[in-house]
Amino acid sequence: MAYIDPAPAKNLEKPKIKAYMALAEDLGIADKQFFEVLAHAPNYAEALFNAMRQAYENGGVDVRLKEAIRIQLARLAGDKYFALLRSKKAMKAGLTEDLIEAACGDFENEPLFTTAHKWAFRYGYLMYREPAKVDKAFYDEGKAHFSEAQIMELGNYMTINYGMQVFIRTLNLTPQN
Amino acid sequence: MTEEDIDEGINNYEASDRFSDAEKTALRYSEYMASDLDKIDEAFYDDLKKYYTSEEIVELGTYIGINIGFHTFFGTLDFYPMFAPDGRLVSQEESKLIYGTTPVSHTEGAMDRARELAPDTAAE
Repeated sequence: MAYIDPAPAKNLEKPKIKAYMALAEDLGIADKQFFEVLAHAPNYAEALFNAMRQAYENGGVDVRLKEAIRIQLARLAGDKYFALLRSKKAMKAGLTEDLIEAACGDFENEPLFTTAHKWAFRYGYLMYREPAKVDKAFYDEGKAHFSEAQIMELGNYMTINYGMQVFIRTLNLTPQN
Repeated sequence: MTEEDIDEGINNYEASDRFSDAEKTALRYSEYMASDLDKIDEAFYDDLKKYYTSEEIVELGTYIGINIGFHTFFGTLDFYPMFAPDGRLVSQEESKLIYGTTPVSHTEGAMDRARELAPDTAAE
């Protein structure tokens, strides 16, 4: 049970919150509980969900790779809520539970991943475990596989997701389904 | 708020008389979220609720979380503030000289270095 009680019904009934709640479940990137907590501050709920949705849905990086990184980060943060959710778009595009497990485990030795994939998983891991290792040489290596726009997309995607994951982890949230 | 308040809030908030119990709890929330997540449990939230509404807790929690995410990312990109502590627009090279390569207090040399590097001062 979450450590914060659900937001008042009047907040959850706000048209934009209701629309985002339905969209989140359609996309598989959050559920009602997320809004029950975040809607205590409706403006924050709207802004953060919109940022998360844009990060999932838009950009030039493969959605399967981004989803695997998101789950990798959720596990690093110890956040069971976001670790258990799955983007329907990514799963429909071919992401599997085996690939997710590989991304969260020994990705360096996984033959199904390209050198680019491995760099991206290393980026996620090092960013929040050993950020000093994400230096100029590391970025130069990344530029061999990704454009600067894609690297910025990955970096910003990781920050939004990890930031939300560390907060949600502390609230003891678990997905409803 | 002063630079001394910021330094005290980072380095000595628990023992400081500059902060209320509510402010100390919020600063502890931030510190634990960045470095000791296991300490933020139900009892910790009960403590927060003594001082803050649920709306304020959500505001604080998301604000802290997103800042942890972005600060870590920006820290890897090796870029520096566009402005010196006195508000002067500076180059990245000059900003690096003023602020140094790791985050430190503005009172530990950054303001002095900004004054030393300011064109008017250098010309005198």
